Amino acid sequence: MNTSMHAGPCADYEHEIVELAEGSLAPERARVIRLHVESCARCRAWQSAFASIDAGLEKALPRPALSAGFAARLESRLATETRLGGRADLRTSAERDLRRTLEALRRGTWFSAIVGATTVVGTCTAGLLLVRGLAPETAPLFAAFAGPERATAFVALGAVVALGALAWSASRGLLPTLRLRA
Amino acid sequence: MDGGIEQHLAAGQHARAFDLVVPAYQDRVFRLACSILKDRAAAEDAAQETFVRVWKALPGFDGRAALGTWIYAITRNTCLMELRRRRPTVSFDDPDSDEAYRAAIGIATAPAEDPEHDNLLRMVDALPRTQQQAVRLFYLEDRSYDAVAEQLGMPLGTVKNLLHRARKRLMELARPSEVKAA
Repeated sequence: MNTSMHAGPCADYEHEIVELAEGSLAPERARVIRLHVESCARCRAWQSAFASIDAGLEKALPRPALSAGFAARLESRLATETRLGGRADLRTSAERDLRRTLEALRRGTWFSAIVGATTVVGTCTAGLLLVRGLAPETAPLFAAFAGPERATAFVALGAVVALGALAWSASRGLLPTLRLRA
Repeated sequence: MDGGIEQHLAAGQHARAFDLVVPAYQDRVFRLACSILKDRAAAEDAAQETFVRVWKALPGFDGRAALGTWIYAITRNTCLMELRRRRPTVSFDDPDSDEAYRAAIGIATAPAEDPEHDNLLRMVDALPRTQQQAVRLFYLEDRSYDAVAEQLGMPLGTVKNLLHRARKRLMELARPSEVKAA
């Protein structure tokens, strides 16, 4: 049997001495541990030291409590969060609406541009055909554009004019994708 | 206690559920924050921040974990963020931290004047961080291993071991002073 005060308890009883102190041991086992402690100076010293530390911690460790104004401060904070959250929701909703509108405008503008261009080309072609059909005296004028080389030159000239028009529109931000970018 | 809260949550009445959550958990959330932050004012701020997060996240709470487990996890995360924020200036190993803790906790009463208690608090602060948290929380939570395990998110056996090692270490640290006193 160990009689040293500071050598620690018998290994088999160490945890159960704590449980005995905390009252969590089954009655039968508690009786066994009590009997052992009574007969073992080492475990008795350890039990005493444990009780001393336990009581010391109980007294020394502070037990803070929430301040009286905690609930009111939390409520105020939540009210602020609600307002901010509400504003954020409104802003998000407005931004979402704006994005949708711009998308719709962009799609609509492109659609309008394509329809417009098709209409212009169709109208011009129909006009020229109408003029040629109704006024036979203009036939030499149309004949001047006959032949592969002249037709190519005519198409190239048309392309240059079209590109120039596009460049002019782009430089003034008139193209739909440039003007309506969100 | 959580029955009413869970009924409201199941019915999608999050505001009503939250009204019950705060009084049910505010003290335990605060004590958990105290055990981690060791600063009363910071713990109260952390508790407030925790409930704001709970309030925001409650509609998304899916009930896979127990409500308390979920709230304590939010509390621990909030406290860890606070610790990370203050890391450049405060260290767990700061030898003066027990004095800062007691001053912040606001216990300028008898225990603060007691040199034995001062020594004990200093020894607690010399423990590894998880042991410190377990010890503080254990005595704050009226010696409930279950409460400590739930709040620290650890298995019950781990908490018992942590506390056992902590108190054993405190007994070892206390011996030189006992010897000196003798």
